[in-house]
Amino acid sequence: MLTYQFKDNFIFKLHPFTQMTFIGIVFILSLIFSHPVYLLGLLISVWAVIAAAGNLSEWKGYMKFCIIMVLFIVVINALFARAGTTIIYSGPEIPVIGSLEISVEALAYGLGMSIRLLVIISIFCLYTYAVNPDKALRLFSRLGGKSVLAITLSVRLFPLMMKDFQRISEIQRCRGVKLVTGSWWKRARNSIPIISIMLLSGLERSLQLAESMYARGYGSSPRSYYDKDLWRPRDYFILIVTAIALVIGIWSAVMGWSAFSYYPVLEHINPLELIGAGIIAITLLVPAILNWGWMKWPILKSRI
Amino acid sequence: MIKNSIIFRSRYVLSILIVFVLLAATIIPENPLYNLNWTLLSTVIVFMGIMAFFWQFEKQQVSSKMIALIATMSSLAAVSRIAFSAIVSLQPATFIIMITGYVFGAQIGFMVGAIAALVSNFFLGQGPWTPWQMFCWGMCGVFASILSLKEEEFRLISFTVLAGLCGLFYGWVINIWHWAAFMYPLNAKTFLAVYASSIVFDGIHAVGNVVFSILFAGTFYRILCRFRKYV
Repeated sequence: MLTYQFKDNFIFKLHPFTQMTFIGIVFILSLIFSHPVYLLGLLISVWAVIAAAGNLSEWKGYMKFCIIMVLFIVVINALFARAGTTIIYSGPEIPVIGSLEISVEALAYGLGMSIRLLVIISIFCLYTYAVNPDKALRLFSRLGGKSVLAITLSVRLFPLMMKDFQRISEIQRCRGVKLVTGSWWKRARNSIPIISIMLLSGLERSLQLAESMYARGYGSSPRSYYDKDLWRPRDYFILIVTAIALVIGIWSAVMGWSAFSYYPVLEHINPLELIGAGIIAITLLVPAILNWGWMKWPILKSRI
Repeated sequence: MIKNSIIFRSRYVLSILIVFVLLAATIIPENPLYNLNWTLLSTVIVFMGIMAFFWQFEKQQVSSKMIALIATMSSLAAVSRIAFSAIVSLQPATFIIMITGYVFGAQIGFMVGAIAALVSNFFLGQGPWTPWQMFCWGMCGVFASILSLKEEEFRLISFTVLAGLCGLFYGWVINIWHWAAFMYPLNAKTFLAVYASSIVFDGIHAVGNVVFSILFAGTFYRILCRFRKYV
């Protein structure tokens, strides 16, 4: 039911804080960078980490959905951007958007933004499949116990209510209430009892939940912890490495290396400025490399 | 009462000031924030709005019944987002959030909307759109609570109109993110292009909200009002 499914590998065995830091830093870097090579470096490292986590098949599903969005971005940019000077196609006047001009710069900009989109979607794909939502929420429970409790309860109630929904709609269908066939308006009207029963039983359950919380002394004393996540050497190692990536990323942004001007003419790529991209890609690849070592050498697994 | 309203107003002014300073910092040259990525900036502003509501909630005395109610309503909205699209290819989540906000007030309305978006994305997939959805649905709950303050008793017509408007509001705010994230140059032309391309989706959402509010509003209002006595 939940998209998160535990797998026995290095990425899943990291502390949730380490996972969230890695994901957050890649996300921030992807928004800071506009240089296509820097973005490509990020994409390669994220792809490797997703492959190490064993979620490549889900990632492919995400990418299929992305291709439509990429096409959309490239087409809209090519049609509407007027700042490019190297025009490769100029067509007839079109009423709303004016004369049709497609420039190399606008296409390149669309492609650059598409790489950024792919990085962002991939990193959220990693978050969706590799981070346990309960553990991730627990990181915030010190900041706001009540809201996190409400969110965690809601995550727990979700599958329960999904089952309720299936049960109630099956019972209704056994009674001859049509939910799958018939006109749209009929189906909508027939779903009224389902949702009001779900509401009633949900509210009833929430009263019982509240009474049970009260009986167990919720809020009467400082919070206690059911279990704690351990900090291991691997977490410190990954945190240091991602911090290095962040520092170099900010450094190259300040130096202007990671910026790329698409308009009015595409900037020349200076090979020296790409050193930052290489270092960042390598540092962010470390989790994937460690996962490979972890599978290969049991001694490494026992040490970190 | 007067003192309260002064505090309220000063907070109001302060928050608007913070947003304006942030926006101004990106267009005034010669400072470190100049030309900051607008996608990042707009998401930060939306995130700050969400955090303000959550912070307010943390400061309150909250009973276990209130927490259980928020969890139940938000997970009902999240389930309806997925389950109902199979039957009528529309989702009543916005309507459920709004009727909760109408009956229980702005604070609970916002919390239910925000948590519903967050939790359903745990099952559908998180993304940079999550804070925007949290904010939009939370604000739908707040709008409904404002309507309930203006009215003596529940009126189906005004609630239905508001539900339709909230459907449009939701799409229009999400469009800002889409525009800032993927369009260049950021000008009125691309802005209108984004809004024109989304008009069908927003229209369907608004019509769905109107239909659900005609079908369910009476029943939901009665059930929730009865439950309000226990909380």
